[in-house]
Amino acid sequence: MISSATQNTPGVVAVSSRITELFNEQWQNIIRHTDYLFSRLMVFQWFFAVALALWFSPRTWSGMNSRIHPHVWFAIFLGGIITSLPVYMARKFPGEALTRHTVAVGQMLMSALLIHLTGGRIETHFHVFGSLAILAFYRDWPILVSATIVVYVDHLLRGFFWPQSVYGVLHASIWRSFEHAGWVLFEVVFLIISIRKSHSEMMLVAQRQAQLEELNGSIEQTVAERTAELTRENAERRKSQAQLAQAQQIARLGSWEWDIGNNRVIWSDETRRLYGWLPEQNGLTMEMCLERIHPDDLQYVKEIMAESFRSGRPFTCDHRIVLPDGSQRFVSARGEVEFNEFGGPVKMVGTAQDMTDLKQTEQALRRSEDRLMQSQKMEAVGRLAGGVAHDFNNILTVIGGYCAMSLQTLDKSDPLQKNITEIQNASERAASLTRQLLAFSRKQVLQPRVLQMNEVVQNMEKMLRRLIGEDIELSTVFDVALGRVKADPGQLEQVIMNLAVNARDAMPRGGKLTISTSNVVIGHELKFRNRTLDVGEYVVLAITDNGVGMTEEVKAHLFEPFFTTKGLGKGTGLGLATCYGIVSQSGGDIHVYSEPNCGTTFKIYLPRTDASLEPGMIAATSDMPAGSESILIVEDDPAVRRLAVVILRNCGYKIQESNNAFEALEVIRRNPNFDLVLSDVIMPQMSGKELSDRLRMQCPQTRILLMSGYTDDALAHHGVLDEGLLFLEKPFSPARLAAKVREILDTPGPSAVESSRMYGTSLVPA
Amino acid sequence: MRKALATRILLYVLWLSGIGTGIVIILDYENASGSSSNAPGHWISGTSIPLDPVRDTLIMFAHPRCPCTRASIEELNRLLAESNGRIAAHVFFFRPPNYPADWSHTELWRNVEAIPGVTVQDDVNDTIARRFGAETSGYVLLYNPKGQLLFRGGITASRGHAGDNLGESAIISLAMGGSAAVTQTPVYGCSLLDESNCQRTIAP
Repeated sequence: MISSATQNTPGVVAVSSRITELFNEQWQNIIRHTDYLFSRLMVFQWFFAVALALWFSPRTWSGMNSRIHPHVWFAIFLGGIITSLPVYMARKFPGEALTRHTVAVGQMLMSALLIHLTGGRIETHFHVFGSLAILAFYRDWPILVSATIVVYVDHLLRGFFWPQSVYGVLHASIWRSFEHAGWVLFEVVFLIISIRKSHSEMMLVAQRQAQLEELNGSIEQTVAERTAELTRENAERRKSQAQLAQAQQIARLGSWEWDIGNNRVIWSDETRRLYGWLPEQNGLTMEMCLERIHPDDLQYVKEIMAESFRSGRPFTCDHRIVLPDGSQRFVSARGEVEFNEFGGPVKMVGTAQDMTDLKQTEQALRRSEDRLMQSQKMEAVGRLAGGVAHDFNNILTVIGGYCAMSLQTLDKSDPLQKNITEIQNASERAASLTRQLLAFSRKQVLQPRVLQMNEVVQNMEKMLRRLIGEDIELSTVFDVALGRVKADPGQLEQVIMNLAVNARDAMPRGGKLTISTSNVVIGHELKFRNRTLDVGEYVVLAITDNGVGMTEEVKAHLFEPFFTTKGLGKGTGLGLATCYGIVSQSGGDIHVYSEPNCGTTFKIYLPRTDASLEPGMIAATSDMPAGSESILIVEDDPAVRRLAVVILRNCGYKIQESNNAFEALEVIRRNPNFDLVLSDVIMPQMSGKELSDRLRMQCPQTRILLMSGYTDDALAHHGVLDEGLLFLEKPFSPARLAAKVREILDTPGPSAVESSRMYGTSLVPA
Repeated sequence: MRKALATRILLYVLWLSGIGTGIVIILDYENASGSSSNAPGHWISGTSIPLDPVRDTLIMFAHPRCPCTRASIEELNRLLAESNGRIAAHVFFFRPPNYPADWSHTELWRNVEAIPGVTVQDDVNDTIARRFGAETSGYVLLYNPKGQLLFRGGITASRGHAGDNLGESAIISLAMGGSAAVTQTPVYGCSLLDESNCQRTIAP
């Protein structure tokens, strides 16, 4: 029993409304269905009536003549009229009350017609009762009333106008009509009772259905809420998984899990990527997974894992893996074994992090550190060489100078000749060693001039053959129409020599080294590495070997300072870097063509110049050209100063000396008519360069010749001697000093500058 | 909306009018009786029909193919059943001259034959019917043993309509020795004559 309070709740009101709705819906369906039933039944009845007429009274007779019986026409036309509107309404307006009332009236009229067509047979009257029963299908008692009224009115009117046809008497009481209608009413009453009971049952069904729907609605709502919640959770889980995958990707840290019982390893996407597996390979056995581990690391990894199984402690293991393409990666793996309650291993879970970049960075850092150390070492060597060169060259100048002067004064048969010659040779070797130290540490001064490349190579051929050894065949191919270039010949020789040495090292079992020259015209900008070669004419010097060649990786680092494939201690890594720097300083470039096991070709591009050839270094001579000009010698080293004074006085010059620049300036201030000032460069308080600059201001007509064994960039920028400076390299011989002085004094005006630079300024090692 | 309503009203008016007209026509037809001549008030001797000396003698004239007569025969059956054998019945079926006997031996003939105590005969060319003034199928005459005419007319309430009717009631009453409210009733059935059929007889 539902309480009143409960009845007023919105849920109950909704259910009640739904019950009514369902009841009406079901009833309406029944009505429509019954409308449809009658629309077919009435048509059938019509045809039946026509058939009945044709069967019972097809023709009417008059003696021997006959014609169609009027019953046939009645059946066709009146039956058609009776049938038409109910069928139309049932088809067109099913469910309407008017439709079913029309059907009820039409059905009763059809009963009357059938009764008439069958001659009032009592059996046909059952059609009335059957029709009422069928009309009760509507479960709408008012239509039974309509049907009853039709029956009653039929009998009433017929009893009134044709009583005999209904009651068999000439005069019938009106109550006779009630008698006939009463039997109809008798059935109708029970049909109404049945209809009401049917309505009750329909209502009960509607109630149950409404309650079921409410229950279903509640369940569906719960399901929908749970589904939405599940969907939201799934979305969040997917998002979390995506974030985890992204985090793993960013961190290059993947996860994996080994189901020990089934020996099945599953992994995250990042782990799969890291180990180079395919997506469909997820679930491999541990043995197959271990196949990716570098053979050298495999035993170590197995031992680590076995130890973890024994101890139950997590493990960390750095190892390498080999991918299918042969490349390697460094992986840092961590893992932990999970055991069941009986202590048996169930699974192993862990992570794998890609350490390749870190390892490579570490290696690069180590290389950089090595290079830094090498660089620092070279810097130290350079500083040492520079520091030593200055004083050492002064000493060698004195030794060599006095040796030379002694040899000139001694008789050829004098036994001291040989001794002094040995001293002089040792002095020259020491000078050569000093120059090599300076060149090695790039402390040398470049003095470029216009030259012919073919001549440079030809001059070096003998030396190169000795350098590369007998196992290597040297051949040269010169372009006879080769253009000229402007470069420091000494440094150019250094480049050729470095490349020849590299070629030799690339052919440990012998081979062929070819040096060729040619002219080329570059029609478009040629980009090689980070340099762009401008359009123009170039002279190419190609050095080709058929040695082991180089990989692309080696080529990529070839010209980097301190990069070497010869192993630490065997090569400085500065050779090609120096070559590259020298060629670049000369406005050119080096291109490399190499393939492993095929050989290597270095092509040196130098800009072609139309300038005239400049004369080369004058050959060493023992002549001492004389003169009478006045010369001021500025030198802080007394031994060198005295040597220079002796040499030049012996040549006839008027000499005055100073041991520093300030003193020299004072001397010049008193006597500004010196023809030449010969000054050391590195001096305390004021360098020779500063002295030179001041004298140019005070005495523009005075020529200045600077001399030094090591300038420490005082006279050069990026290794190239500054324009307008006259320079004599220490150690020098007496003849060389005399020749240089004479040459300068003989060169008038500015031309003296150019010509003086052609002599004795090369720092190329002997 | 109003047009639909008007259309609907028009439809119903037409429908009801059609039905009403049809009913009127059908009732008019149903109650239209056939014709008959004056029947002899006394038994005509010299016919092949014997006048029953004890019981009343009933003679019916019928068209063997008239569907309306089926009801008359049903009522005859009922009448005879209710008269408890107090009526000697003779039914004459019209047969045109020169037509075989099969022409008249229809289902009606067989129905009549099935009624106990009824004599069925052909009435070729309405010979007997003419003598008794019968012109419509279903026409019944009742004579007492003395040969006096007690009743003439039909024994159906309307055309082809079975059921209680005045003629049947009158005959039963007369046969039972009682009186009858009517001694003449309209006859509903096909014409036995060629010139017309199913026409109303002017009551005497």
